Order: sequence, then C-alpha cells, then structure tokens
Amino acid sequence: MTKAGRAVGIDLGTTNSVVAVIDRDGAPRILTTDEGSTTLPSLVWFSPKGPVVGEAAREGLDHSPDLTIFGAKRLMGRRFDHPEIKKLARILPYELTEAPNGDTWIQLAAGRAISPEEVSALILRQLRRTAERFLKEPVTRAVITIPAWYDAAQRQATKDAAQIAGLQVIRLLSEPTAAALGHGAHRGADRRYLVCDLGGGTFDVAAVDVESGVFEVLATTGDPFLGGDDVDRAVVEHLVRDVRQTRGIDVSTDAFAIEKLRLGAQRAKHELSDHATASVTVPALAELPSGKAVDYARPMRRDELELWASPLVKRLEPPVKEALRRCGRKREDIEEVLLVGGSTRMPAVKKELARITGREPSVIPNPEEVVAVGAALEVARLDGTIEGVLLIDVTARGLSMSVQQGECEMVIGQSAVVPTREHRLLATRSDEQARLEFDLFEGESPDPSQNRHLGRYAVVDLPPAPAGDVLCLVEVTIDTDGVVRLGATEMVSGERLTLEQVFHAGLSRAEVTRLARALEAA
Amino acid sequence: MATARTLHVRCATWEQVDTFITRKLRKGRLLSMKVPFVAKVGSAVTLGLELPNEMVIAVDGSIQRASPVEGDPQRMWIEIDLTGLTEEVLARIKRLAAGTDDDIGTDPQIQPIAPARKSSVMNAVGEDLPDDERALFQHLSGELRRIRSAAVHEVLGVGRDASPEQLRVGWKALVRRNHPDLVSRRNSPAITHLAEELTILCNRAYDRLRAAMTGEGQGIRAGSMIAKPPGWLVGFEDIQSGDTTPAPRTSPRKFERPPTPTPAAPPPAAKAAAPAAAQGAEAFEQRARTQLKTGDANAAREVLAAALVIYPRSKPLRSLYYVATALAALQDGEVVLATSQLETALAHHDQCIEASKLLEHVRRHGATNTDQLKRVFQ
Repeated sequence: MTKAGRAVGIDLGTTNSVVAVIDRDGAPRILTTDEGSTTLPSLVWFSPKGPVVGEAAREGLDHSPDLTIFGAKRLMGRRFDHPEIKKLARILPYELTEAPNGDTWIQLAAGRAISPEEVSALILRQLRRTAERFLKEPVTRAVITIPAWYDAAQRQATKDAAQIAGLQVIRLLSEPTAAALGHGAHRGADRRYLVCDLGGGTFDVAAVDVESGVFEVLATTGDPFLGGDDVDRAVVEHLVRDVRQTRGIDVSTDAFAIEKLRLGAQRAKHELSDHATASVTVPALAELPSGKAVDYARPMRRDELELWASPLVKRLEPPVKEALRRCGRKREDIEEVLLVGGSTRMPAVKKELARITGREPSVIPNPEEVVAVGAALEVARLDGTIEGVLLIDVTARGLSMSVQQGECEMVIGQSAVVPTREHRLLATRSDEQARLEFDLFEGESPDPSQNRHLGRYAVVDLPPAPAGDVLCLVEVTIDTDGVVRLGATEMVSGERLTLEQVFHAGLSRAEVTRLARALEAA
Repeated sequence: MATARTLHVRCATWEQVDTFITRKLRKGRLLSMKVPFVAKVGSAVTLGLELPNEMVIAVDGSIQRASPVEGDPQRMWIEIDLTGLTEEVLARIKRLAAGTDDDIGTDPQIQPIAPARKSSVMNAVGEDLPDDERALFQHLSGELRRIRSAAVHEVLGVGRDASPEQLRVGWKALVRRNHPDLVSRRNSPAITHLAEELTILCNRAYDRLRAAMTGEGQGIRAGSMIAKPPGWLVGFEDIQSGDTTPAPRTSPRKFERPPTPTPAAPPPAAKAAAPAAAQGAEAFEQRARTQLKTGDANAAREVLAAALVIYPRSKPLRSLYYVATALAALQDGEVVLATSQLETALAHHDQCIEASKLLEHVRRHGATNTDQLKRVFQ
C-alpha cells in the first residue's frame, strides 16, 4: 500500500455525496463544496462544454434532463434485464441501454453510451478536488461507503469508478457500519445496535454489536430500490394526475415537465418534514398548443404525502424483520436503533421504524453526514490513528457455483464472516479434457436464473488424463472489501492452474485503465 | 533427550537448498546458527528443513558448542552436529532438487488449502525483512501451518463440546490478534498476507462450527444464523465421530522422516497435532468405507478426494481413493483400469486390505460377479 497522498472518507450517495477527513486534532471534518454546502448532489450534466458536476449541474435538469444523470449509483453493476432496471428505464428522463456484456449503461446521444461507473467517477473526482483544495496536498486514497447489500459486481463497479477517478480504495465500508462508527459507537458503552439507513435510493438494515471497540455486523439486509427518490416519483405520479384533472394537460410524456414536477415535489417533501403544509409551485410547467405557458401551483398537506408514500413506507418492514431473523434476535434484544440517511427525516418513516422495532430511534443530528464521518474515521482506523477498533463484517448474500451450466451449488453462505474462503472440487468429465468451465453467482438459489451472474471462468491447460482423474481445487475468497477472488490448484500435483475469465460483469481491467487515463488527461 | 527442540529452516527456492548444503554446512554436517533460547551443549535438536515443495525433512543432531550472544542473554550461537544428515538423506534432497525423485511420482504432495495469492509475497520474505518482523513472520507462518492441519475447534482453541458463547469468545480473541487491519498498518505486505490467511481460517472454522450448531438447533446466540452449504464435510467428521473411534492404524506424520542411524523422539509439534488429525482422517475413512460397502463408489471418491485436501499425507486415505476409483471402473466393466488403480493403491499403502482383496477378486473373476464385490468391504 502506497502511503503517498492523503486519504479521505467518501459517502458516495444516490442523491448526495459527502467527503470528510480527520483533522490533525483528531476531529472529523466535513468538507464543503464550492457552493458552501456540505453535500454534493450526485448529479452530472453532460453539457456541450463538457461534464458539469454537483450543484451547477442542476441547471442541466432544466435544459436537458436527458443529458443530466442522477442516481447513477442505482445503475452501477446492474444487469440491464433486471426487472427493477426495466422499471427505472421507463421512468428516468435519460435513456438506458444495454452494454455488450449485459450491464446497464446510459445512452447520452446516438452512438454515445457511458457506463454508470464513469458517471460516478466524475462525482468522485469532484469530491477529490474539493478535498485537495482543502488539504492543499494530493489525495490518492479513499474509504468509500457502499450499501451493505451491494453484490460483488456492484462492489467491483464502485472500485472501478474510484480507479477511474484516480483514487485507490483502501476499504469499501458498508454504510450502516460507517453510520455506527460515525455515531461514535466505539466510544460509548457496549451495545446491540440496529442501523436503518434510508437514503435517496437505497434502504439498508444492519444488526451491529459493539463490544469493547469491536463492531460485529451480525446480519445485513436491505431493499436496493427503496429510497427518497421513490417517494418523489410517487408524488410526481399524483401531481401528473392532478395536472390532468385541473389543467386538462397530459404531461406524463413530457420529460421536462416531469423533471420540473420532481424538483417541486422534492422541495415540498423536505418542507413537510418540519411543517404540516407546504406548496408545490412550478412556473411554466407546460405550454398550451397556443404557445401560452401554464403555471402550476397547489398546496400539499403532510397527510397527503404520507398517504402517497404509504406503499413505500410499508416496504420498510420486511428487511428489518429479515435482519432480526438472520441474527436470531427478537426486537426486544436490540438496545439502540440508529436512523441514518436523509429520508429518515420524514416523520412517517420515523414513526414506521419506531413501530417495527418497538423502540424510539435515536436522533442523529446529521443523518446525511454521519456516514461520511464514519468513512473518515475508518481511514484513521486503518492508518492506525485510532487504536483498538475492529470492524467485522458478514456477507449479505451467499455465493454459488455452477459447473458446465448445471444447477447452482452454494459455496459460501450468507452471513459468513469476511474475509473467508471456501473451495470446491471439480473433476474432469471427459478424457483428455483440457479446460473446465464454471460460473459464479451471487445468491443461493439452485436455479441459476434466480441468482446474479458474476462471471464465467475456465480452468485451462489441464494435464491430459482419463475422465475424472484430474481434480481441480477451486478456491473462492471473499476479501474484507467483499470482493471475490479466485484461485485453482490441481489436486494431484498440487500445482497452481491458470484461470481464464470467459465472461465477467462490469468493466474490464483494460477499460478501467484506459478511462482513468482519459479522465486524468481531461 | 526428553525435550528435543525443533529448529525450523525454510528454503524458499532450490537455490537456497543448494546454498544451505554446500556453504552453510562445515565438514558436511556442522551447522552454526543463532537461536532465541539458552541451549545446552550435548542436548539433542531436530532440524526441520523445509524444502520449496513444502516437504519437511527432519534431521537429528546434537549441540556441539554454545556461546551466548553479546548483549543478549536470551540468544545463543550454537553449533550443531547433524548426525542425521547421512549420505542417503543428502542424496534424496539432491534428487528432489533435480526433480528426479520417484517420490514425486508416487507420493505426491497435495497441498493443503493453498493461499489464493500464493507465494509471490511469501517467497520474497526471509532475508530482507527487519529482525523484529522476521520473528513475527516466522511466528505467523508457524501458526498458519499449525492451523491448516488442525480440526475446526482446535483452530479456535476451544474444546469439542464448547458452547456457542465459548466459541464466539475464542473466535473473537483470535480475530482481535490476527486481523489484517490491525497488523497491516505497522508491517510489511507479507505479514499482512499471513494475517489475512490466518483470519480467513479462523472465520471459516467459526462459520462451520456455527453452521453445525445451528443445524443442531442451538448456536443462535453465537452470532448470526448461517446456513450450511452442501459439501461441507471437511473438518466436521471429527466432531460427529466423537471419541469412540479406535486408535488410528497409521498416524499421519507431520514430518517426513528418512531412516536415521539414531532413533529419535518425534518432534513435539507433531505430537500435539497428530491424534486429532488422525481422528479426522479416520472418520473420513469410515465414511468412505460405508459408502463402498453399499457400492456407491463415486460418492466414496468424492469424500476421499475432499479428505485428501485436509490430510494429504494419509496413506490409508490415498489408497482407499484408488480403491474407490477401481470399484467405479469395475462397475463400468473396465477391468484393466481397475487393475492398475488397485496396484496403485497397494503401491501407496501395501497394507490396504480392500485393495489386495479386490485385486484378487479381479484376477479371478474379472468384471463378472460384481455382486460379490460387496463382501470384500464387509
């Protein structure tokens, strides 16, 4: 590990991103953007003059919503044929497309598609610049937080994005753990925590035990497609109906109008967290055939918002129950409930989580920033500035393997402590077989189509022998970042075998290097 | 002779082996080295010479001279007379170095679970580490070797009947000591790598024991629930077989011991690890035998192949593996293949009763009368 350059903690969020460092006096500090805000909107506008990131990109939302990418985090490491992606593709103002390997990419213009990794890289680079301006020295390393339920492909995609932005990831830290760390759980008494993190696009639940400085994550669950953005969309749907009824215009196919309504809805939602009523005002929402602009304004009550959001709020319960079931806990065993993420400011969310857990959640003064503070503390911990704190994480999902397109067999179960390793013995099935292919999946179903395909690999250059005489020991390692490594050994001779990547989700190494160089030059 | 110490010398490359023999030794068998203990002249020591193929050759010797290192009363310079380094042993090492030793063919070294990122780091270590790190490195690699051959509960340092809470405490203590995060900030990548390997083994042992307990309906307080993936036979048989298994016929040896002129006590490290390891291997054997009895040769082969990963040097297991292959071949009517497999089995372990019985049967009946085969395994 190179020690050159400073390291920072980054919360790469769906809607907002935050960067934090630990000051020389040991206190965490959130760095402010050019606009003086502690959070950077995770927004990239591919303007004619080049990509614009953050607050300045909001302008793009008005001009060209099809070129202004928000929520790229939800697309990272996802297959295009995933049902949730299909749903997103219908409602997003920008166009999604399928990459040659099945990943989801963003179509900016005819013949110009861009991977979500590159979009995230632009955001990361902006955060890196913010940090460099503050620290007045190069920043080359980072702890980046990710949702706990991220699969191996999404983790790899995050690492790739960082590499493109010129950052070496020293650790991928799960957001609930980061939140507990940022909350200062390592300094307090030993406790059994339940962390609920509802952000812009994701919902995470983690049961974390803190015992004399050791954070032990017992189970993590979540809903990858539940967040504040979904509430906005639900509100927009109702507003579109309202526009049709009151103004007689159908704006449902007008991307510009939808985007304006979304911004109005978001503002109203924020206001309704503290007030019982707010108003949605959208000047020049649409144009009549005559060319006359139509303004739109209506008051909104908190109970209306709660009614519209209730199908989403109901989805909070299953992940919480599942997390408790996985660690064999009753809700009475939990000693503290932490609410993290901007969307937990919604009174309805707070109330629902209090009901599910049967306990009044702790109030964190800065739910948007606590994760980044945790990431910065993790930097200090890994550098040795903070002593005696240890984070132990578990796998959110199992890992399965299928040989020659057969059924999947679980290799590593869910909730296994990482780093961990398991092995499988594969025997050749025909005489003189020189190559043995297998597929790796995330998920535990025997049916491969139910699992997330991580890649196809082949053990090559097997020694010639009758069928079944060559035994390959394939080792699957999940490291502390939750990223999968593979190794293969021939059993009889004990020799290392060459593994070949036939198909792999995400960007290839060469692509990542090329993109990193291109961004460096830009 | 009661407490013969074992001194470990690791040669990462065959060049180092050559240097060791040609330059380090005086008069062909006198070796000078610094040791971290107070040695007595005349006491016996065993030199564990580890070769690049991970084979360890035990060489007996006795201390001829000992003088304290200046300024450090805990360390001594000693000179050992390696009585055990006979012409045959030397010739054997040279054959191994040249790659012509027939042992490589007949008694292949199956590696225990090898690290995924093997040895590019490990081999680089040795000479170029600072002194304090080298000691740590040696300690960790010793620990790793011990753990690789230990049963799951031994890895965690708990008893066979440990409660879930004890399990958790044992595991946590180990992780607190070895977690790469705590080690990496002060030490070199090689040490971090060792720490990660150790942590992986501890985590795996913990997960397996938890899975076993969850299967028995307890373990809920031991941490998170965990499903037991199929094929986790490794390392569990020794728990289920309990203590009723008879003494092993041949205890797997940790050290490969060539014939020596003086009979020596087995090295203490081997003494500690051998019984438990044998029990595990024994359990695999029994399981495979049961499967062979029912004629399920392929299942037996799977079990044995997995067992061989853990106990690569167990001759009974290895010969049984070939017996299972032969049985499968016979069921397919492949007499020639079966014969060669059985002969291989006997070459590995000439006391393998099943192999000789089965071979006799094949010679008499060929691939016919396969129903009588079952009697062989009674």
